[in-house]
Amino acid sequence: MTQVSQVWITIAAAQIPVLAVLLALGMAAKIRTVTNNSEPGGMSGLGPAVLVAEKWRAPAMLGCAAGEAFLLGGLMLTGHPFFRWGAVAFFAVSAYVLWELRRRRPDAGCGCFGDVSSIPVGARSLARTVVLTAMAAGTVWVGPAPGWSVLAGISWIEGLAMAGGLLLVAALSPEIEEAAARIRYRVPCEQRRMDPETALNRLRASAAWQAHMRFLASPDPVDSWRELCWRFFAYPGRGPEGNRLEVVFAVHLIGRRPAVRVALVDAEGRPVAVEPVTVGHSRPEPVSARSQPRSGRMLTRARHAARHNSALYGSLASPLESRIEG
Amino acid sequence: MLYRSVDRRHALAAAALGRNPATPGPVADEGELLHAVTGEILDISPHLIIIETPDGRHERLVIAPWATAWRGETVAPADLPRGSQVIVRAVQGGRVAERIWADITRITGVIQNVGKGARDRTMELYCGPHRGRRTVVIPYGASGRLQVRHPKFEPGYLFDAIGVREDGVSHARLPATSQPPYRWTSVPEQPPSYGGAQSRISGTATWSDAFDLDERGAAYPMLESSDSECDEAGVSCARLPYLALGSMLEMRNVCTGRTSIVPIVTCGCLAGRFCDRCLECGTSPRGRIAELSPSSFVELGGDLTTGCFNARVGLG
Repeated sequence: MTQVSQVWITIAAAQIPVLAVLLALGMAAKIRTVTNNSEPGGMSGLGPAVLVAEKWRAPAMLGCAAGEAFLLGGLMLTGHPFFRWGAVAFFAVSAYVLWELRRRRPDAGCGCFGDVSSIPVGARSLARTVVLTAMAAGTVWVGPAPGWSVLAGISWIEGLAMAGGLLLVAALSPEIEEAAARIRYRVPCEQRRMDPETALNRLRASAAWQAHMRFLASPDPVDSWRELCWRFFAYPGRGPEGNRLEVVFAVHLIGRRPAVRVALVDAEGRPVAVEPVTVGHSRPEPVSARSQPRSGRMLTRARHAARHNSALYGSLASPLESRIEG
Repeated sequence: MLYRSVDRRHALAAAALGRNPATPGPVADEGELLHAVTGEILDISPHLIIIETPDGRHERLVIAPWATAWRGETVAPADLPRGSQVIVRAVQGGRVAERIWADITRITGVIQNVGKGARDRTMELYCGPHRGRRTVVIPYGASGRLQVRHPKFEPGYLFDAIGVREDGVSHARLPATSQPPYRWTSVPEQPPSYGGAQSRISGTATWSDAFDLDERGAAYPMLESSDSECDEAGVSCARLPYLALGSMLEMRNVCTGRTSIVPIVTCGCLAGRFCDRCLECGTSPRGRIAELSPSSFVELGGDLTTGCFNARVGLG
């Protein structure tokens, strides 16, 4: 055997751990997608599940994960050619399925790494499967050494080849951008589910609550509703002269000590001006979303919140405006 | 928790946040205001229509020479039968009728079962927790037209059609949209918008017959279940923000340039499950923003038989 062919075989052997890493990631992501699929139809945009009837989508995903686990075990623990050829067949069939998926459901993601692979199948995903097929085909000519022994006695050529293989696969993986975007992304507060009980607890811990408690005729709200990033609580109340009022609190939904606004409203819906009780022992909390930040991190958050509020509520002159305007 | 009238919510929220409460109704910023007049036809001639409104008033409207009418199909206004429930789009301060829809109904729901029959078929629909179930007739003559846009007459798929109500029975006539290819529980999740808060939300506005004929308001999908007593709320294909019953939407018909402030009066749990587009003027972004009452829809310049208009609600 010439030296060049020996180098090629070394490079091919180094791809066994690369294939194993890909199979392990794919298997774990698919199982996670199926187990986290609380919303019915959550896999409606993922291949190859999308190619089968809805009731078979989870079994198809799990079947795929089982196949990957089988190949992963075989490649890493044995050097039997059955698993090498099995990996070639698996990736070749995957390439065909992706091609078919792109033709039949151009809106569906490949599902290769579960719900992270939800972006439509493109040339990169296809090229990655073809590259993996080629890597798997290369391992057929490697001796009967199991994957773990390649890792155990790794040489610098194998290390470089492994890193090169991983880099090539990473370059062909649109999921990396998707995963990074998901890590960066937080659902805007106006679209986030928020527990009303949490807002009520934060209201009751606020200085505004303490200052206006004496106007409340009942400790339980008669109505509660949410608009954008605010939750409102309306209480029956009595004014200083004993007149009937409604006390309405607006609690911002972001932060442990959120902004709290309060108004006393008469039967005609007009705000009533009263002097609130000053509460000495309670910690002051911001009364608007534009409170002064105390640290650099808070400053960044405050700037982000200001930009968000500016986009959401319009002019900075009335950042609390929450009427939807055209 | 005692559930109070939602009418007070807007005033209370405005007081708490120090803003001016909005007044519902059309915004007279562009063109002549349109008026929706609803009621039962008492008398009609080629030039005059007399309508008894739900509050018992008699409205006499001149029928414009260019006026058209619809009752299952386009008809001459004078051919509308007395006793029909009509919605009239009127101009000139609500005195001149230029478009009349008679006995129109919109059938939006989830298919529960479809009767077998050689000719007319009956279909049972689930129309949401507030609206319950209803049975509609798919006339043989309209079934081909409906099935072109609704290929799956199968339980679990959404159905949306416009029809006429005759003798208390709804007959579907026109498809109002193309049937979504997914089941109603499988609404695809929209990709997140990484650009931060949206200052404008564009999509489709449709109408629904779940409102009273003369009611002004909207059904909005993104409500908290706990505030709206609607377990199926909170699903939207248009990445809408959470609002509440009683909130005001400033709704703009992009096609006609008309704007109106519309209160949210009910939960639009089915509207949120349609990821369709409106093609009234260009192609709207995916997803229904709101279902309007017929009167609000007409006053914004919408055509009830078209079923939608490209809409925009802004956030700033």
